[in-house]
Amino acid sequence: MTSTRSASLFALALLAPAILYILAIVAYPLFDTVVLSFTNAALRPAYDFVGWANYERIFGAGNFTEVIIRTFVWTFASVSLKMIIGMFGAVLLNASIPGQTLFRILTMPPWIVPMAIGIFMWGWMYNGQFGMLSGLLQNFGLIAGPFPFLAYGSSAFWATVVTDVWIGVPMVTIYFLASMQSIPKDLHEAAWTDGAGRLYRFRRITLPLMVPAIMTMSLLSLIATFNSFDIIWILTQGGPSNQTTTMIIDTYKTAIGSYRYGEGAARAVVICIFVSIFCIVYFRAVRKLSQGEVK
Amino acid sequence: MSQLSLKNLEKSFNEARIIKGIDLDVSEGEFVVFVGPSGCGKSTLLRMIAGLEDVTSGDIEISGKVVNDLPPVQRGIAMVFQSYALYPHMTVYENIAFPLRVEKLPKAEVEARVDAAAKVLQLESRLQHRPGQLSGGQRQRVAIGRAIVRQPKIFLFDEPLSNLDAALRSEMRIELMELHKRLGSTMVYVTHDQVEAMTMADKIVVLDAGEISQIGSPLQLYHKPDNLFVAGFIGSPKMNFINGTVAKADGTTLSVDLGPLGNIALPRSTKAKAGAPITLGIRPEHLQLGKGDFTLKVTPNIVEYLGIHTVAYSTLPGGENFIALFEGAPAIAEGKVSEIGFALDQVHLFDQAGLAVY
Repeated sequence: MTSTRSASLFALALLAPAILYILAIVAYPLFDTVVLSFTNAALRPAYDFVGWANYERIFGAGNFTEVIIRTFVWTFASVSLKMIIGMFGAVLLNASIPGQTLFRILTMPPWIVPMAIGIFMWGWMYNGQFGMLSGLLQNFGLIAGPFPFLAYGSSAFWATVVTDVWIGVPMVTIYFLASMQSIPKDLHEAAWTDGAGRLYRFRRITLPLMVPAIMTMSLLSLIATFNSFDIIWILTQGGPSNQTTTMIIDTYKTAIGSYRYGEGAARAVVICIFVSIFCIVYFRAVRKLSQGEVK
Repeated sequence: MSQLSLKNLEKSFNEARIIKGIDLDVSEGEFVVFVGPSGCGKSTLLRMIAGLEDVTSGDIEISGKVVNDLPPVQRGIAMVFQSYALYPHMTVYENIAFPLRVEKLPKAEVEARVDAAAKVLQLESRLQHRPGQLSGGQRQRVAIGRAIVRQPKIFLFDEPLSNLDAALRSEMRIELMELHKRLGSTMVYVTHDQVEAMTMADKIVVLDAGEISQIGSPLQLYHKPDNLFVAGFIGSPKMNFINGTVAKADGTTLSVDLGPLGNIALPRSTKAKAGAPITLGIRPEHLQLGKGDFTLKVTPNIVEYLGIHTVAYSTLPGGENFIALFEGAPAIAEGKVSEIGFALDQVHLFDQAGLAVY
């Protein structure tokens, strides 16, 4: 009895640094944000509890629902494109062609280049006056004059999606490639001796066996993309006229831009709830998949 | 007419010659086993027949047609892989039906063929299970089922039993032989296990370093090995080899000097030069305790009592390992000198090049 107790005390002592760290870095800020979301905290040193007022305000009037919908559209567009392009890239990189290693290395730059630098590069490419994209389109006679991509709501929206996809694709590609390579070669050879062509094998063997990888990557990418801040902030700061304002940008603008900490915290709590739902789905999927493997 | 014919078949990977000019004819309905140590090229040869490896030179003919450039599916073969290569996400039914789905056969025919195969292989109750839920032997049967439904001219097996435990292996060996009898198809089977080769084959092809060492029936290989390699490879425990020199060869008798073991005179018509090195081979199971045309004294280091057999391991004065296998439990013990003998007609002789001398 005593030894069990001292053993668990010892275990607790070993865990203490990590527990303290998590409490300080995660639990306390989360708790404080939730508390803050029920106040009218602003730049003033003192604030009052206002109950559900902040939540009523963001869901009642204003454009918060619009922001939520926009965030989901932005996230799903970006994640689906990343998955499709990533899968396509993995298939190409998996093909035994000369220079395979070189092609594999060439997929890495978007991942390796510091994110902010990559985003600024895209910012210049989207520029109407001296940007590469506008120039190319003019050269090909597809547009009449300079087209500043980031100046119009709809083009700015897709421009930020494209940049996010560009940055996110290498990781998805490499992950999918690794998963593809873990499929035993024998399975493909067996199917090939039975007359199955490339496409048939991809559809009936590769793709079904990659479902765990696709699910894991989709959910992880969903969580990361949902909270993607730097790309939109550097390119458009949520503009023009809030057309690229997603929930995370909106929260930042409210809390830090307008110094309305209480309301900003309420918006952050809503984000936290959404991300928690994604995480629950992710962990359930992981559990289900690992059970499937055991079977 | 032979159903499978290999003509001067060669395979190189860059500079390395893996298969060095193989010539082989396999008749319809024959069970042929490629046997040899690891790295002898037996699996590569099978994969070349399957169409999974390109042919560097030479021809592969199936039913009289050169198939070198045909994809596997057009060769009329079906292959069973060492790893079984079952699709883990599909049920047993879908695994067996896979080749038929590729062929886009009507549903009714797919069902009929899968059911027939399942019946032959006693898999009826397992059709809705996934491979992960099956035992090793059942997985093996599913892999065979997938081959059967294609109704191939030739079945190719790549070490199909090597992943099974010993008991299951001998069980599956018998099942495969029964299957061969029932289907009457040509089967080419690769193994490194000479017991599998001996028990299953109509014809054994012994491969050594990419070349055919000998082709023959199991008993031919056992009784009349062409060379030292085949003599040592076929038979378990391995044949004993004793180094000696030719003392005298007069056309009727060949006398071999075995050093401290003495001289042995064998009735052979070979004309060998006196002083030429020669190797004497005698199978452990042909040794007798305390009798024989020629006897030698040995002191066993280890004696294994297997009930039905007793195996004694000793070292000869020349340093050669010497294994003797006796029926039952004779009076032989570790560390005690025993006289072991053999009949002269059981002796194999091999010249300096390792070729059999008859």
